[in-house]
Amino acid sequence: MMESAMVLVQRYAVEKHARRVERVVLRIGTLSGVDPESLRFAFDVVSRGTQAEGAILDIETIQAAVFCKACQKEFVGQDRGFIFTCPICGDFCGEIRRGREIELGRLEFS
Amino acid sequence: MNNDTEAPTEDAGESYSVHPLSGAASRPASSLSAPLSAEISAALAASPEGEVAVRSLDLRIPLLEKNDILAERNRGYFLGRGLAALNLVSSPGAGKTTLLERTLDEFAPQTKCAVLVGDLETDNDGNRLRRPHAPVAQITTGTVCHLDAGMIAKAAQSIDLNGVKILFIENVGNLVCPASFDLGEQVRVVLLSTTEGEDKPLKYPPIFKSANLVLLTKVDVADALGFKRDIAIQNIKRIAPQARIIELSARSGEGMQDWYSFLRALSAQR
Repeated sequence: MMESAMVLVQRYAVEKHARRVERVVLRIGTLSGVDPESLRFAFDVVSRGTQAEGAILDIETIQAAVFCKACQKEFVGQDRGFIFTCPICGDFCGEIRRGREIELGRLEFS
Repeated sequence: MNNDTEAPTEDAGESYSVHPLSGAASRPASSLSAPLSAEISAALAASPEGEVAVRSLDLRIPLLEKNDILAERNRGYFLGRGLAALNLVSSPGAGKTTLLERTLDEFAPQTKCAVLVGDLETDNDGNRLRRPHAPVAQITTGTVCHLDAGMIAKAAQSIDLNGVKILFIENVGNLVCPASFDLGEQVRVVLLSTTEGEDKPLKYPPIFKSANLVLLTKVDVADALGFKRDIAIQNIKRIAPQARIIELSARSGEGMQDWYSFLRALSAQR
């Protein structure tokens, strides 16, 4: 995953004539199954010797958002992990609106 | 058709290989890589905005984009052929192959089925699933812990899909990584066997979260194991309220008719 991120980072670094990549921002949903610590470790490894070596890696956490069909309302998942109950009717909800993201969010160059 | 002597289709630079075991396509699978990589580059080149020297660049590009593009291609391909693809995921030993063996014997004679089966090594599962009436291809992934959409695209081309209504994709036995890889399936089926414990859905939520159908397998031995079916069902419903649940045993036959009805309804929609 980090390797595919680095392919993108290097492509944009070349395209924007960057000297150095200062910051890489990843957007990771809480339901994505991706472990931020593993990403950090992988970033250090795969950025070595590239323009992104030493860049700051920011990992933005995207909270899960769930939709209750019965109430027709969207709500943000609390810290209950993967089990979502509607705050209005108490039903279990399975329709995930946000929280699965695994994205390269933003880059900063110099 | 006898394909015993057929060599595996293996491209240089790919760590996995595809072995059509029965019902091989008349033409060898063509490589997708060149036009596809061009397509992906074009899509990426079109996405960023103007050519001004920027210091900060908002992107929001999915990191599994290559797999997602391929998965959408597969989905369109399957839809165009009028077949329903099911991605079967579970821990190793939950009963995917046994379920498919019985399904091929009892259901596939009426509704034509094909199977793509993934493992790290050996053709054992593919050979277990070989039937004269069902095309089967084995994908050996080497060290890779999941199937991806590219492997499916290639394996699907290696067999003859003419007349096939249901394509079963038996994923590598793993409850973690396959959750992140869309294969272009219409239905994701997660199997939970009674030998695994009622709390598996709570311990491995991402895969259950993404399920359309959960099969509780090996229910014939549930009592002997002290497995509490109602608690397991409750746990599945907490994690995956969107999923249909079928309790079955491919050995005793309990619940198999429900599974076949599900498949029949699915193929009728195509």
